Amino acid sequence: MSTDGCLLRLTGVTKVFGSQGQTAPLGILQGVDLSLATGESIAIVGPSGSGKSTLLNIIGTLDRPTGGRICLRDQDLADLDEKSLAEIRNRQLGFIFQMHHLLPQCTVLENVLVPTVVTTDVELRRSAPIRARELLQRVGLKDRLHARPGTLSGGERQRVAVVRALINRPALLLADEPTGALDRQSATALTQLLLELNKEQNLGLIVVTHSLELAQQMGRVLELQDGRLVDITA
Amino acid sequence: MTSWRLIAGSLRHYWRTHLGVLLGAALGTTVLLGALLVGDSVRASLLQMAQARLGQVSAALLGNDRFFHSDLATALTAELDAATAPILLLPGTAARGDGGARANRIQVVGVSSEFWKLGPSPSSEKLATHGGDIPSDTVWVNEPLARQLGIKVGESVIVRVPQPSMLSRDAPLSPTEDTSLALRLTVGRILQAADFGRFSFQASQLPTLNAFVGLKELQLKLGQTNQANGLISSFVGANSASQKTGTQPRSSLSRLDEIFRAQVKLADLGLQLLPLTHGQTELRTPRVFLDSPVIAAAKATGLSFTPIFTYFANELRVGSRTTPYSMVTALPPRRDAGEMGRPSAVSLLPSDFKDNEVMINSWLAEDLQAKPGDSLELTYYIVGAARQLVEQRTSFRVHSIVSIDGAAGDRTLMPDFPGMSDAENCRDWDTGFPIKTDAIREKDEDYWKKYRGTPKAFISLRAGQSMWSNRFGDLTSLRFEVGAKEVETALRRHLNPASLGLSFMDVRAQAQAASTQGQDFGQLFLGFSFFLILSALMLMALVFRFSLEQRTVEMGLLLALGFTPRRVRWLLMGEGALIAFLGGMIGLVGGVGYARAMLYGLSTLWRSAVGTTMLVYDARLSTLLIGAASSVSLAVFTIFWIVRREAQRPAHALLQETGGARLSGSHETRGRGKATLWAGIVSFVMGAVLTGMVLVDRKAATAGMFFSTASLVLIGGLCFISWWLIRDLATNSTTHLSLIQLGLRNVCRRIDRSRAIVILLASGSFLIASIGIFRIDAARDGQLHTSGTGGYAFVGESALPIVQDLNATSGRELYNLDATLMAPVTVLPFRLREGDDASCLNLNRAQKPRLLGVSPIPLAQRKAFTFAAVEVGSTNQPWHLLSKKLANGEIPAIADANSIQWALGKKLGDTLPYTDEQGRTIQLRLVGAVANSILQGALIISEDNFLQLFPSESGYRFFLIDKQTDGGKASIQDTAAHLTKALQEFGLELTPTVDRLNALNAVQNTYLNTFQILGGLGLLLGSFGLGIVVLRNVLERRNELGLLQAVGVGRTRVLGLVMGEHVLLLGLGLALGIFAAAIAVLPAALVPGAQLPLGSLAMTLSGVGVFGAFATYAAALYALRGRLIDALRSE
Repeated sequence: MSTDGCLLRLTGVTKVFGSQGQTAPLGILQGVDLSLATGESIAIVGPSGSGKSTLLNIIGTLDRPTGGRICLRDQDLADLDEKSLAEIRNRQLGFIFQMHHLLPQCTVLENVLVPTVVTTDVELRRSAPIRARELLQRVGLKDRLHARPGTLSGGERQRVAVVRALINRPALLLADEPTGALDRQSATALTQLLLELNKEQNLGLIVVTHSLELAQQMGRVLELQDGRLVDITA
Repeated sequence: MTSWRLIAGSLRHYWRTHLGVLLGAALGTTVLLGALLVGDSVRASLLQMAQARLGQVSAALLGNDRFFHSDLATALTAELDAATAPILLLPGTAARGDGGARANRIQVVGVSSEFWKLGPSPSSEKLATHGGDIPSDTVWVNEPLARQLGIKVGESVIVRVPQPSMLSRDAPLSPTEDTSLALRLTVGRILQAADFGRFSFQASQLPTLNAFVGLKELQLKLGQTNQANGLISSFVGANSASQKTGTQPRSSLSRLDEIFRAQVKLADLGLQLLPLTHGQTELRTPRVFLDSPVIAAAKATGLSFTPIFTYFANELRVGSRTTPYSMVTALPPRRDAGEMGRPSAVSLLPSDFKDNEVMINSWLAEDLQAKPGDSLELTYYIVGAARQLVEQRTSFRVHSIVSIDGAAGDRTLMPDFPGMSDAENCRDWDTGFPIKTDAIREKDEDYWKKYRGTPKAFISLRAGQSMWSNRFGDLTSLRFEVGAKEVETALRRHLNPASLGLSFMDVRAQAQAASTQGQDFGQLFLGFSFFLILSALMLMALVFRFSLEQRTVEMGLLLALGFTPRRVRWLLMGEGALIAFLGGMIGLVGGVGYARAMLYGLSTLWRSAVGTTMLVYDARLSTLLIGAASSVSLAVFTIFWIVRREAQRPAHALLQETGGARLSGSHETRGRGKATLWAGIVSFVMGAVLTGMVLVDRKAATAGMFFSTASLVLIGGLCFISWWLIRDLATNSTTHLSLIQLGLRNVCRRIDRSRAIVILLASGSFLIASIGIFRIDAARDGQLHTSGTGGYAFVGESALPIVQDLNATSGRELYNLDATLMAPVTVLPFRLREGDDASCLNLNRAQKPRLLGVSPIPLAQRKAFTFAAVEVGSTNQPWHLLSKKLANGEIPAIADANSIQWALGKKLGDTLPYTDEQGRTIQLRLVGAVANSILQGALIISEDNFLQLFPSESGYRFFLIDKQTDGGKASIQDTAAHLTKALQEFGLELTPTVDRLNALNAVQNTYLNTFQILGGLGLLLGSFGLGIVVLRNVLERRNELGLLQAVGVGRTRVLGLVMGEHVLLLGLGLALGIFAAAIAVLPAALVPGAQLPLGSLAMTLSGVGVFGAFATYAAALYALRGRLIDALRSE
């Protein structure tokens, strides 16, 4: 845990595409600064192509920034190799995507347990099935443990994806348009779930969304404008 | 949750796509393993055939023209605790009693009941206990001979064998009449392989034609009572002894030789001891001339002896007076005796006797009215090549006259010339020389009656040997000063039967080596099946890749969830490896089926390549394991390669994909396009340079060069196609988009897929297109001296040796050949030492190849055949290399290039150990390789060297026959028929050289067929792959195609669009393959007379094209079924 309670800090993060000299470079992120405390939730909004998902991928270590620093719990992620980044994704981050991305070959319970396959924490792995059941019960899926993703509704699938993101007790939850593929009712339910988990689990939560309704329920709302984050909470 | 559960879940969920991967892996394993099993089966079949022909025989002693007492077998059995049987083994011919069918080159075996005990199975041993002695006037024939003659039990057969002659038929004074013996026999049994019917020492899958006759009967008919010329032993005692002592079988073989040596008597070595007066003993031989090892052994005894050389003089003349046909004896004068041993006290010639002097007996002196100081002219024959008689004369000064009633009146000085010694009258002599009977006077007959062959004249040994020495020897007897017993003891101690060629051979080891070291059919079929295996793997890779493309998001998700890329790869690898393993297991079963199918093909469709139907399926556990492991590894490696390519992209990129909708990016491809273009240009230029090199220097036209050129052209073409596709992809958008352009863009979308299809089809069509040019047709240019026929019309082989010169009038007259018919005919005779057939027709590795001896001059003058390669430093006409003296006593040998490479497993410059008649090992050095010729199957050395190595080998048995094109009205076929009939007694069989070469070529052509058929199967698989690609492409793009329909493009036009895209790939692949083939075969195609099999080629490729188009059509129809607009909605 960070000494100042800061979970995530981005300093001057930039991302430029086409920097290999083939075409004119395209700067998507122009120096993003961001800090997120434990238990805090923020929404990042902006028009399509503004770089929201790119920023989320960079925070989630799925992509590397062109410049700037990213510190998660005071650890500079730039210094880490692929293996260490994978471990951070596995233990400290939880992902929720617009599409649920559940593995069709696995049951609901198995999907939730997929991240535990590579967890080095033996205790965590041992207790994972119990935790998975508890979480699935928490999200109202206790009767669908052994169902295949194909038999679930869109909302149910996304809830499974949320539980999967939480199974390894991450510190930070990253959600990319989590309600984008859901109907209004399911979207509202999922938003509530995320906020409740944010509180219950004391998680950091970053949501990238087009939905102002979802964004306004987060602690802070930041808009990506010209490659920089602008606080528009007010 | 564990990785295994994840893998198992994926296997279950994606079973449909995995099925394709599974089939690919199973097919790859089937073909690879099947090929290896073919190898195992051929090896096992050869071993089985070796077992059938040798039975329990492990060691054999073959005396050829040397005969020994058959009871030696009994003695050996007792000493060795090993079953040993005597045999009389002779070449022969057989004809049906009614003359309806003939079989030349059969093996006639005189056997006792002991023989059957050494058979391969209880069935043959039963013959030993139930009447194993073949009844008199009966022959047991093996099934192949019965089949060839079309005979049944109870029918009559005429078997002809050479009349054994201790004196070589080539030797001076050898009789020319009664050289063979015909036996009319009744077929008593037809023996199967299990009955020991295939008994033979020759390593070949082709069965020997055997006629078994009772040993005693054959001995009687041949006048060789109690004699045998072969011993066969089960060697069991010797082997077990070696196992007990831990010694090598080789020492057991030596033990066998030692026991044989201990048991053998001088008579068994063809030697006779004749007690003389005054306690003297004469050593002589029915072979007339004493072998050099015998003389060496006599010297080694330290006993005193006088060497004697008695020869036949045609005429003795003093002035105008002549005495015909007399024996002349050469002896060492007393002072010379020391040179041959300790001087003999009985030497007739005084110590001052000179080499130009002659001592005559009183009868001759009176007949010629000769006195000391007179000049006496001695006329005699020497035998040249092809038994040509050369009459020579030498003059001597009469030294003295010796009384015929004294020491000089010794009739034993004359050796036992067959056809002469037993003759009552001079006119009855059969000397092999033309005897002018009118020159024989009454007094000559009286002399013969009274004194027999008592020499009329004596000359010095040195003079005699300088005139009469020949390859058979230079002495006719040795006179020892001691008794016979002492001589025999001493000689037996010093004379090793092995030096006369009487030693045991480890025939079982030879047979095993021949069958295990032969052509590796496993590798051969692996080569043939290469393209099929490649196709299966590519198909598997294609399907697996499709499967992974469907799962890119899954890969991205796992990465996002904290799986390392390595872990993701291993998960996918594990999945793939399990499928590959399962495929391997299915392939194990498939491989067995494939091997059986190939063996069936080899026994039927491709029989020309193996010449036998006796191939049996056999699989070794190690082969099954190695084959399965190799193919599974290959499949796993292929999967690893695909996984590596697919799983190396970043997680966010993978997560963005849905259902493989990835597009090649124009930014990257533009740069790659230029590099690809340059790579194409470089490859093409290099391919063109190689083609040019081959066109300039034909010798550079090797298989390596061919494939290098083809590979470069294929790579170049592929680069150009890739460049074109990339360029099209990178082209700026057009304002007039047509359906064709749209189709082209679609082809460019998945460049890797398009490229894979083009590679597969191009490689396949290249193989099919190029292989045709390598078919060989002997009829093409068959009349040219430089062709594989040497320009000869017929190649012939006789069962029995023909000693007379078929080109000389005397020879033609002797054999009653029609002078007119034969006038334009030239015969090139070869001496032949039997051995293993070293041609492509023999699946075994020739251990002791057949040896031909020929005078190189006629071949060099004719510039016959074409040499594929000769040793550096050779003359213009490589045939002269045969006469070259080589260092270290090596003997130059020439052979067909195929024989050298495939049948012998050697290369030019290598040496080959060969055992000569005296048991010495000499090295034959391969100095020249004849290109694809009728000479395949044997090693060729000069006749001079041949006679040095095998002086006893008489006559000629291999012939090349030529006829001048303007030579007479009779056709060459008539001449051949006449020759065959006239020389029927010798079992002469003539084959048109073109037929013979085509039979040899059939092996290569059949292999090419096999290669083409399996390559064709691979190409069909490639077409099937094209169908899968079509299916995949269309299924991926159903929504796009739905969109086209939504904007008004009709269903037929959509189908046309899909067809057009993929038929373009099909066409590109086929065209590139044909183009590469055309460039690579250009040098071969430009050779004058080269025939391009354009018809069959066009048919094959059209077939592939049509099948590919059909596969495309079927796949497109299937993928476009239903309402495409629904796909648009579901998006």
